Amino acid sequence: MAAAASGGGAGDGDRADAQENVPTYEWEDKNTKAFHVAAFGRLWREKLDPALYCYQDTEEDAEHAQLARELELSEETMEELRVICSPDSLTGGDVRTDVVPHDSSLKTVRLRKRKQDYKDSLRRDFPAKQDVFASELENLAIGRRPMDPELLVPEGEIILTVNVLYPVIFEAFKFCRHHMTLQVMGSQKLSELRDAICCVSDLQVYGEFSSTPDMAPEFISKDLYKSAFFFFEGVFYDDMRYPECTAISKSTIEWAKSHDFPTYRSAKMEETTFNDLVVKIGYPYLYCHQGDCEHVVIITDIRLAHRDDCLDKNLYPLLIYKHRMLTRKCSVCNLYISRWLTTDDHLAPMDPCLFCDMCFRTLHYDKEGNKLGHFLAYPYVDPGAFN
Amino acid sequence: MMFTSPRGEQAGTLGRMDNYIQALKADFEELLGQFQRTDSVRYENFLPIWRNLDFPSLFYGKIVPNEMRIFCRLALATAYQYFLPPYTFQIRVGGLYLLYGLYHTQLASPKEKIRIALKDWEEVMKFQQDAANAQHYDVVYILRKLLSEKSFYFAAMPKQLNYQSKKKPLRNEVCEEFRERPQRVKDLISMDTLEEVMNVQQHYEKMKAAISATPGQLDSAINFIRKDLVSQLRSTMMEYHKLEEQQSRDTVPKSGDGDNAAGEGSSEQQEASKSRRHRQVEMDTSGSGTDPSQLVLFRKKKRPLSLKARTKKNLIDKVGTLKQEATEFTGPGMMEENSKGFLHLKWTMRTEKGGQEWCGMGAWWEIVVRSGCCVLRELKRSRSTAWEFSYKGAVQYDDNQCLC
Repeated sequence: MAAAASGGGAGDGDRADAQENVPTYEWEDKNTKAFHVAAFGRLWREKLDPALYCYQDTEEDAEHAQLARELELSEETMEELRVICSPDSLTGGDVRTDVVPHDSSLKTVRLRKRKQDYKDSLRRDFPAKQDVFASELENLAIGRRPMDPELLVPEGEIILTVNVLYPVIFEAFKFCRHHMTLQVMGSQKLSELRDAICCVSDLQVYGEFSSTPDMAPEFISKDLYKSAFFFFEGVFYDDMRYPECTAISKSTIEWAKSHDFPTYRSAKMEETTFNDLVVKIGYPYLYCHQGDCEHVVIITDIRLAHRDDCLDKNLYPLLIYKHRMLTRKCSVCNLYISRWLTTDDHLAPMDPCLFCDMCFRTLHYDKEGNKLGHFLAYPYVDPGAFN
Repeated sequence: MMFTSPRGEQAGTLGRMDNYIQALKADFEELLGQFQRTDSVRYENFLPIWRNLDFPSLFYGKIVPNEMRIFCRLALATAYQYFLPPYTFQIRVGGLYLLYGLYHTQLASPKEKIRIALKDWEEVMKFQQDAANAQHYDVVYILRKLLSEKSFYFAAMPKQLNYQSKKKPLRNEVCEEFRERPQRVKDLISMDTLEEVMNVQQHYEKMKAAISATPGQLDSAINFIRKDLVSQLRSTMMEYHKLEEQQSRDTVPKSGDGDNAAGEGSSEQQEASKSRRHRQVEMDTSGSGTDPSQLVLFRKKKRPLSLKARTKKNLIDKVGTLKQEATEFTGPGMMEENSKGFLHLKWTMRTEKGGQEWCGMGAWWEIVVRSGCCVLRELKRSRSTAWEFSYKGAVQYDDNQCLC
């Protein structure tokens, strides 16, 4: 019995390791248990024939010949199979695909017909801008291949899909989370993802400029406050590339230690690749920059690279979805994008108020450039700046 | 201002995609139910059902390309569930054909792929092996064709997860009719366990003999075991197995040799007829919403029924024909033969709502009975709440006192 147990133990070790890296649900439909990304990739590659995930299209005839050999079928049977199971038999010929059939026996079709009839009965009928924008964005990246074969994404590479949500403050906005979706390769570093996330708070300029409107802002916050960190599964990954960066996670770790939390570790963002991470799919993590601008980061999917994906290494991290935000226009002319925000302004209809550059100067300054009245002005960066 | 939902993908002309999940499931189960009734796993039997139900029309309509992708993804993910256990082999084959059909008739371009999770890969390979062993070549061919066309994404989970904590998790209900009958008896008593039990028994007897008063002989005072335990177990198991096979042979007429060959294909088709009778017939919510009360019901599910609908419903309940709800009758039925040679059977019928007795008017009913020849002739109300009808022929009861 003892011998069996120890022999089983060694075998079990490998199996257990393999088992714990197979993603399974921790909470049904919400997120999985934590697993190591590179191990997951390795498990898939072990189980699959490389021909299944390579980028070349396999020759149909060669496939047929091989299958016939494996199943020991004659040529006629093979030919018969090929004819019967061809996909042409699935469709019924030339049909107009943009018309929903009347009186269908399928519930889905009836549902769609009802919704479309309702939509047609509405007066305004233009497609939502979000959808148009999203479709265009997706089409940009599909199937792109690089000129230089060096830059080809290797076969069997892991692609992660990451959702970055924006900080939203108001309760009323809880069902509307602006987010962007990126795809990253397993071999890329976390710092590359950080560079690809564009948040409008990076462009903010701090300072009150009512007396000196012409002073061009010399710095934007992105250049000033370069520190950032990611938080995955109990580890803080700090950005330490620049000398100005400080490990802003240090204070959190120390606070946690004193308050009876499990200890957190810290590591460097630019030295960790996604392959090294242990993550849960579907579980919210954190990206923090500018000291207090916090974004929730969710990894929604991890899979092997596919022939139809974008195969150019230079394009990763790839943006596949970005929520198009409303641009706030000037409250005077409603034509130009607003650049200035004024508060405590007697000349403005409301507090705070947005102005474009022209309207701001014409209203608040006279010909010599003197300030008229009392107000406070701040440069404003529009959230839709990345559209 | 138009707000999009957290996913950012669900607003638009088609509305919320969740409604489609239920509709898709219903359609797939309809297709698979019809496929199950053909009692075969041949692709040629699948094709006519696919064409009759006009499945390619799932993708028709004025749909924006972005939403078309989302819909295709949803359809493939919903169909994928039928390809995995705990469904029977035949249903899984149907699921595979369904995936094949959906993949090739989808209108998204480039085509949306089918996601396979790492945890399911072993099952898929086993499935392929079983099909090859059972010589279901079209199944193997189609699976290999899908693989070689690179129609799969080898992913971690069958769908993208976004920590949707606000929504109630959709309970993934496995359609009971398609579920594989559990092989519990077979699993419990396999040849190995029988052998082991026999070994243990022999060992035990030896030990007992060693400590008994008369050396080499079993002491009758401390003899508690059954001597022929193992052989009894074995014979009982064989009997059960034979009974199972007989039942399956009786209910399902075999459509052709080679269709129900080896292992998986054979024993899975019996559950259909028994459970189908008790299946609730769903309310039909079809049409383009001409009935305003019905349209309202669909849009805002939580709103209580209007007075008109309630009255209608109650009236139909009280008077008129029997609504097709699952009924079972409780209590012993009384059987007596009347002068004309008909057997009278009396019992009380209760609905599932508990305690509510039907009092319908006379109606003709016909029940086809499993053992073959019993036809119900006439059903009429008698006195209090007992139904009484006359019939000819032999009738069997099963354990739940339902008419077999």
